[in-house]
Amino acid sequence: MKMPDLATTDSDIRLLRWFSQPGQAVQRGQPLFEVETDKAISQVESIATGILKEVRAPADSLVSAGQVIAVFELQSQGSGTSAIDPAPITASPVKVIASAPSAVAQKILGRGSELARDKIQGPALQPLAPAITYERSFLLSLYERMVLIREFEERVKFLFLEGTMPGTIHQCQGQEATAVGVCFALQPDDWITSTFRGHGHALAKGLTPQELLDELFGAITGCCKGKGGSMHVGNMDKGMVPGIAIVGGGIPLAAGMALAFKMQKSPRIAACFFGDGAVAEGAFHEGVNMAALWNLPVIFVCENNLYGASTHISKVMRNTRVSDRAAAYGFRGETVDGNDVLAVYEATRQAAVDCRAGNGPVLLELLTYRRTGHSRRDPCHYQPTDERELWFSRDPLDRFADWMSQNVAVSSSLLAQVKARVEAQINEAVRKAKEAPLPTLNDLNTDVFA
Amino acid sequence: MKRFGIAEALREAIQEEMERDNRVFCIGEDIAVPGGWGGAFTVTLGLEKKFPDRMLDVPIAELGFFGVAIGAALMGMRPIVDVQYGDFLLLASDQIINNAAKMCYMSGGRAKVPLVMRAPIGATGRGAQHAQSLERFFTGVPGLKIVAPSNAYDAKGLLKAAVRDDNPVLMFEHKLLYGSRGARAEPGATDATSEIPEEDYTVPLDKAVRRREGSHVTILAWLLMLHHATAAANILSNEGIEVEVLDVRSLSPLDYETIGTSVQKTRRAIIVEEGPKAGGVGAELAAGIMERFGKNLLSPVTRVASPDIPVPFTPILENAYRPDVARIVDAVRRVVTS
Repeated sequence: MKMPDLATTDSDIRLLRWFSQPGQAVQRGQPLFEVETDKAISQVESIATGILKEVRAPADSLVSAGQVIAVFELQSQGSGTSAIDPAPITASPVKVIASAPSAVAQKILGRGSELARDKIQGPALQPLAPAITYERSFLLSLYERMVLIREFEERVKFLFLEGTMPGTIHQCQGQEATAVGVCFALQPDDWITSTFRGHGHALAKGLTPQELLDELFGAITGCCKGKGGSMHVGNMDKGMVPGIAIVGGGIPLAAGMALAFKMQKSPRIAACFFGDGAVAEGAFHEGVNMAALWNLPVIFVCENNLYGASTHISKVMRNTRVSDRAAAYGFRGETVDGNDVLAVYEATRQAAVDCRAGNGPVLLELLTYRRTGHSRRDPCHYQPTDERELWFSRDPLDRFADWMSQNVAVSSSLLAQVKARVEAQINEAVRKAKEAPLPTLNDLNTDVFA
Repeated sequence: MKRFGIAEALREAIQEEMERDNRVFCIGEDIAVPGGWGGAFTVTLGLEKKFPDRMLDVPIAELGFFGVAIGAALMGMRPIVDVQYGDFLLLASDQIINNAAKMCYMSGGRAKVPLVMRAPIGATGRGAQHAQSLERFFTGVPGLKIVAPSNAYDAKGLLKAAVRDDNPVLMFEHKLLYGSRGARAEPGATDATSEIPEEDYTVPLDKAVRRREGSHVTILAWLLMLHHATAAANILSNEGIEVEVLDVRSLSPLDYETIGTSVQKTRRAIIVEEGPKAGGVGAELAAGIMERFGKNLLSPVTRVASPDIPVPFTPILENAYRPDVARIVDAVRRVVTS
């Protein structure tokens, strides 16, 4: 394993200590050692499962990016065999056991306004109780898509750490239910806009792991022919505009797309993803105001994960209940448990009905949490440990799996098969992506104009 | 043939394009108010009666409604969006530069933004924030086409071409050239009227055009300055100095082929621009001419432009701000005798 490039400046990287010793077994994803840069002290996860054979950099020594620091003896991590570890790979070493809802509900976080505390204790902690009856196969498809997003993002994280993937990444582990719940409630010819954190939205909307991975590797077979990159993934044939990386920038666009649908007398609607940070931008105000004014068929989906980059929502607005704002513009807003995929799905279905009926826009505030950094070099030290534990206990994949086991007679081996299938799909896509053809210099000046 | 001013010509262009293609619609402030003005400079006057569903009045939210126009264009509509004063484009900069201009490239050519944007510019006694020449902030943005008509014929033809182009096109119009009448007439306006043919026609978006043939020096200008340059040329002709006047017309891309033909013939070039000299479009033109044709020139490229100041209000100072015929004549005399 080579030392990943974690420093955002040219500062020294100091390896502080190892968590495992040579001869010990390690799992991929398990914290292996601790490093210090001028930005932060962070833990770095093992990229492999096997025996740690050799440690090539002693504790408390300076290391450089790219230097070989550990050697493993690999165990095969076969997919599709019976020896599957059913526990999902997590970024955190702490496997949180969900406690009884009422006990967690009493937990007071040290931060946030009264309103924020109400939100966290409120709907997020009700047991999943869907309002409509679902086909078992549909429920499994929801689960599989969420697993696809989680496994894709985890795999991309390691590819990035390995140093094979250029650029940067803004990941969405923990926010799978928002993407899948919304996108699965849309029709195939509805549209979405997304942000710089768009991998989950893309997979939920129907872009393939292959076209996304190719794009992340900068290949010409990528969804944007290598010219967009992680922050601009999209596919105009699958109803996803390339991600808009300027916070809030997609909100007026989505209103405009909905205006087009209305003028074209089309039943299509637009769903616009943005975060809690975007609510402060003027573009939010201007976009939702016009959407409300003209009754435009757009669902404004705020994925409120409590942080805009590293800044807590209570530090950037006095009223932290984002959905309250809709009433000020004269339309309907709703706060939803964003880690309950069925709650998200049902809220979006209702919103879509409202939009198609010409009732104007809907603002859905989905309460969720980012299990990963703002961008890949971020170790999230601004997220308090108790807050992280609380939200990990509400993990959307775990909750849905548990619920399905209890309510839909889905066995753990069936869920394991889902994971194995997803892993195989991703492995194949990664293999192909690493060999996908890159653009040539002949492509430099093309596509500036249509 | 009929004789139209720029406002009338634009109005006719918009009407004809909206009749021809029902994806075309207009979106802007005060453009479709019954009993209103047809926009600040009368361009859309009356169109709200002919196209009640496709003339959209908006709140004062330039960033927002430019974004709305871009979103509609992404979904196949063909909007014409305008700002009431070019100075307000700055509010919409993020949507124009970060979204509209880049969407085609960063999607690998898969997303298109067939959008027309219109902006009135120029100093007209209203004070510093309603007076700027904004071209410089948008020329050189890859993915954006920029045009500036000096007369009614070009205004109509360029607008039609812009509507039919699948890319974002920004048209700058000069407030003193509209030829608006009645309550909305501009004091100090210049006649920019033209004969307008009955048949459908377009003007190419990427071409400069020679307005006056000459041999001693080329003046490159656009919008109001094109008219002042022409007036200067007429004066200089009496002194035996024959000025070739080039209407730059396409500010992005710059038409170096037409410019080169002229400059290599006269071997002297003067750029006349309303707006501060530093960082203007003239700076790009001067560098571009020097790179391509510098070896053949008899003297360095010169620029006549406004001083590097915000636009003053009081007429004596605003008139000093705006390059006038006398300053242009003076510059030509100095260049020709150097």
